[in-house]
Amino acid sequence: MLRLTLAQMRRSLGRLVAAGIAIAIGTAFVTATLLAGDVFSRATDDALTARYGAADLVVAGPVTPESLAAVQHTPGVQAASPLLLGSAQVSVGTRSEYLALLAQSPVPAFDTLRVTDGSLAGAGEIALPESTAKRLGVAVGDQVDVTTYSDTDPDAAPVVEKVTVSGLVDDPKGAWTEYGGAGSAAGADLQRWNGGPVDSTSILVRTDDVQATQAALVATVDGGAEVWTKQQAASHAVSELSDDGTDFVLLLVLGFGGVALVVAGLVISNTFQVLVAQRTRTLALLRCVGARRSQLRTSVLVEAGIVGLGASAVGVLSGAALGQITLWALDGTSAGPKLPSTIALSAVTVLLPLVVGTLVTLASCLVPARAATRVSPVAALRPVEAPSVRSRAGTVRLTLSLVMAIGGFLGLALSIGAAHLSPLLGLGLGLLSGAVSFVGVLLGAVYWVPRVVGVVGGAFRRTGATARLAAANSVRNPRRTAATSTALLIGVTLVALMSTGAASARASLSGALDEQYPVDMMLSRTTAPGEDDQGFQDGLAAVRAVPGVADVVELTTVTAQSDDGSTTWELLGVDPEQAHGVLRNDDIADQLRDGVVLTSSSALGDAVKAGGTNLTVVKTGGLGGTSLVTADVASSIDPSAPTTTAWVRLASGTDAGDVLDEVRQVVGSDIFVESAGAEREQYERLIDTLLAIVVGLLGVAVLIALIGVANTLSLSVIERRRESATLRAIGLSRRRLRLSLGIEGMLIAGVGALLGVALGLVYGWAGSAIVFGSFGELHLAVPWLDLGLVLAVAVAAGLVASVLPARRAARTSPVAALAVD
Amino acid sequence: MPTTNENHPVTTARTASSARGLSKVYGSGAASVRALDTVDVDFAAGAFTAIMGPSGSGKSTLMHLLAGLDSATGGRVLLGDTELTSLGDDALTDLRRDRIGFVFQSFNLLPMFTAEQNVLLPLELAGAPVDREWFGTLVDTLGLEARLAHRPSELSGGQQQRVAIARALIAKPEVVFADEPTGNLDSRSGAEVLSFLRRSVRELGRTVIMVTHDPAAAAYADRVVLLADGQIAGEIHDPTPESVLAGLDALRSLDSVVGA
Repeated sequence: MLRLTLAQMRRSLGRLVAAGIAIAIGTAFVTATLLAGDVFSRATDDALTARYGAADLVVAGPVTPESLAAVQHTPGVQAASPLLLGSAQVSVGTRSEYLALLAQSPVPAFDTLRVTDGSLAGAGEIALPESTAKRLGVAVGDQVDVTTYSDTDPDAAPVVEKVTVSGLVDDPKGAWTEYGGAGSAAGADLQRWNGGPVDSTSILVRTDDVQATQAALVATVDGGAEVWTKQQAASHAVSELSDDGTDFVLLLVLGFGGVALVVAGLVISNTFQVLVAQRTRTLALLRCVGARRSQLRTSVLVEAGIVGLGASAVGVLSGAALGQITLWALDGTSAGPKLPSTIALSAVTVLLPLVVGTLVTLASCLVPARAATRVSPVAALRPVEAPSVRSRAGTVRLTLSLVMAIGGFLGLALSIGAAHLSPLLGLGLGLLSGAVSFVGVLLGAVYWVPRVVGVVGGAFRRTGATARLAAANSVRNPRRTAATSTALLIGVTLVALMSTGAASARASLSGALDEQYPVDMMLSRTTAPGEDDQGFQDGLAAVRAVPGVADVVELTTVTAQSDDGSTTWELLGVDPEQAHGVLRNDDIADQLRDGVVLTSSSALGDAVKAGGTNLTVVKTGGLGGTSLVTADVASSIDPSAPTTTAWVRLASGTDAGDVLDEVRQVVGSDIFVESAGAEREQYERLIDTLLAIVVGLLGVAVLIALIGVANTLSLSVIERRRESATLRAIGLSRRRLRLSLGIEGMLIAGVGALLGVALGLVYGWAGSAIVFGSFGELHLAVPWLDLGLVLAVAVAAGLVASVLPARRAARTSPVAALAVD
Repeated sequence: MPTTNENHPVTTARTASSARGLSKVYGSGAASVRALDTVDVDFAAGAFTAIMGPSGSGKSTLMHLLAGLDSATGGRVLLGDTELTSLGDDALTDLRRDRIGFVFQSFNLLPMFTAEQNVLLPLELAGAPVDREWFGTLVDTLGLEARLAHRPSELSGGQQQRVAIARALIAKPEVVFADEPTGNLDSRSGAEVLSFLRRSVRELGRTVIMVTHDPAAAAYADRVVLLADGQIAGEIHDPTPESVLAGLDALRSLDSVVGA
């Protein structure tokens, strides 16, 4: 039987390879993900280990002078010193940076930083990371300001100390990359700059005999402390870290690998169903000569197992190669944490994808294997015109699909409402209902996908015989068309879901940000009015000239009193027209009129008095601590009200961070700059980056599905050999035969993509409604460009997928129509 | 007894299709097979001609070449005044579409189309308008009125072959080639199909060239051309099953004499 299986496989090699590629891509994806997870955890591990420098043992626990002394006096301990990490605000002029700062150890072996210029810091000195020095524009010997805020007294003025840069350091092992690098200073300075004692939780120990000293230390230290080797300490720190997200990200990416494998499974299942159908004659003959049903089933499953194992092995190798190539490519780029230079294959990273890939293949072939056992021996005696995988889908399936789809969508609608009560409940219910409805939709695909293909094909039918032929052919085998379209539909739905969700998130967040931060950038005067007025005006003029600044509006300040005269407030006066131009939230400018004070704060009460004018207080959102009146009101209160503030609107499409840097450069110390634009941009960039990554991951599933389209078409071509020949004989040219298959490919792919886009849109909107509806105004957006692109890519790929099968069909000689088999 | 004419072309007043010195060799070198050996033959317009011969005599090859389905190794093929041997694939395709009809042994209807759609397919491929009157005549003659909306899977073999004949005739081709049209049919349906072919010649003025190995089928033709070993071996006018059988027997006895 095995010999027979192998012989059959040889005959169907091309098709098996195509199906295998789908599985290989899926397993390569999973392997690469696992390897990436491993690389990152090793990178973290290496970084954490590097923090202990050349220490042999680490005593973890609260460090007190007594415990330090006890450790130092333990036999075998050559040197011991606490690991001290604090921070400092370092500034030069208007540039300022928070910096992680290490206390210099009295034991040089424990140093993790490497001096690249100058020397380590003495008292009153600081060693800066190269990158920080570059950003601040300082070199060895320059002075920087270190600002200390008191821990105990929040109202106390910060203390500024002039400190000399003693040297520049770098971090060769990436130990402090997590903090964006670290500098170092003398222990006493570090303590002072942090406004009090810096707690240390580990003592680094150097010894010649690790085991004996470890045992001795365990006996010495009290119950609260642990004694670890350097490696143990690092693993402990890693296990603490992995609780906060690394594993989650890995699981998420593996989820995408899962989607890719499910799609690959559909492709495989499809391929094997047709293989079985093609071999109906052979299978029946085998049954005639005495093969048992179980033998046929086994034969199909053995074939699937071989394909699955082989393809998975190829996938694991490709995934590993991909990982290694990526590491080579990243080697040398300094960005991010220091990565290991080689991947490490472990039993898990190799065996897991191999087993999963093989199992998915086997599971996908259970249905085709059952079909093989159903072939009756009589079929061998009947002339078989065209193999058919047509089988009536049961009513159970239809009912189940309808119940799941309708129930799921109802649940989805319900969870949008539930999200207002409890976001977590809404999210949970939404995820569940979404998944259930999607499974329902997929289960029912065999009923409705061919119909949609038929309707869409009908639209093209009028364009001529070629299109009509394609439309008729595409719905001949509903189950296969459904499976092929569905494979594509899954990937496209998820891409469209993500892209719609991201667009809605961007719109909703941007709406929320507009309300919360209506001004892109706010400039406030730091000098008192009358003091260096020219400097302030020069600063504003300079800001106007910065590229990316669209508008600058000046505001004057007047004072108002509460009704009873007990409290005074500052009011800002602005021209409503100008406010319209500069604010992102039109509500504010719309409500601003003479006779009112616009504020977000409730402190003002219902009315205030200002310079003999009574003003009504109107509440609105987004003003923060500012209260607004019109410029006319302001000048009527105080005709000589000074300009103290300016609002800046950034031109659209500019990099808010860059403009902010530029503005800070030009304004000097007379103007304080605040920017929400940079914050807004950060959010948008985050969303865009996440979206790009997710779409990239899901692209793999779409790619696999397109292999499925090519596979289906080439199978159809083989089955329709006689038909193609007949058409050629009665007058269809080669070109039109190819065109007909191209249209068929575009139909199958296009409809799958179209349905996927529609479903994705619905799910994306539902998801956005659940997530954003509960905490702010919801903006449902349609990412037309993205969705159009997905559709165009799918249709184009459908055409490309038809190229090879169509060439094969066109090669069919018309004489084949006359052949009798 | 067959009238043999030593490979002289059989000429009539107007020829629909003809071959001159036509040869076809399959394979090359020692493995080559000469399927047709310098055949000269004419087929009269408005006549029903059968090509007969034992298996391997080259009758199918001759038909493929006459119909422009395959290319010759040597010699010429003419359809009316058009020389086929010099035409490229696209020109041949158009020629088959506009000037030739086919009836196949396995019917070869397209399963996804109804009977009517199958019949009209050649016109649709050509983008030509449908001559409703002619369509009506064909449907009438072939008795297909009640079957037009059915798909091939809902038709009997005989009905399918009648649809195929209508498809072959719809574009009013100069010649209809039929390859063993009764090979997949029971004798009653076969007889029905053959009388339809004969009626399409007698009543509708069509030209039919049919390849068959069945003497009873050949007897429906006006003339039978006998083929043996890739050469014309004789012809029979106004054949009967008996005269055809006798002609075939003569070929066989000739074979055995030569073989001895």
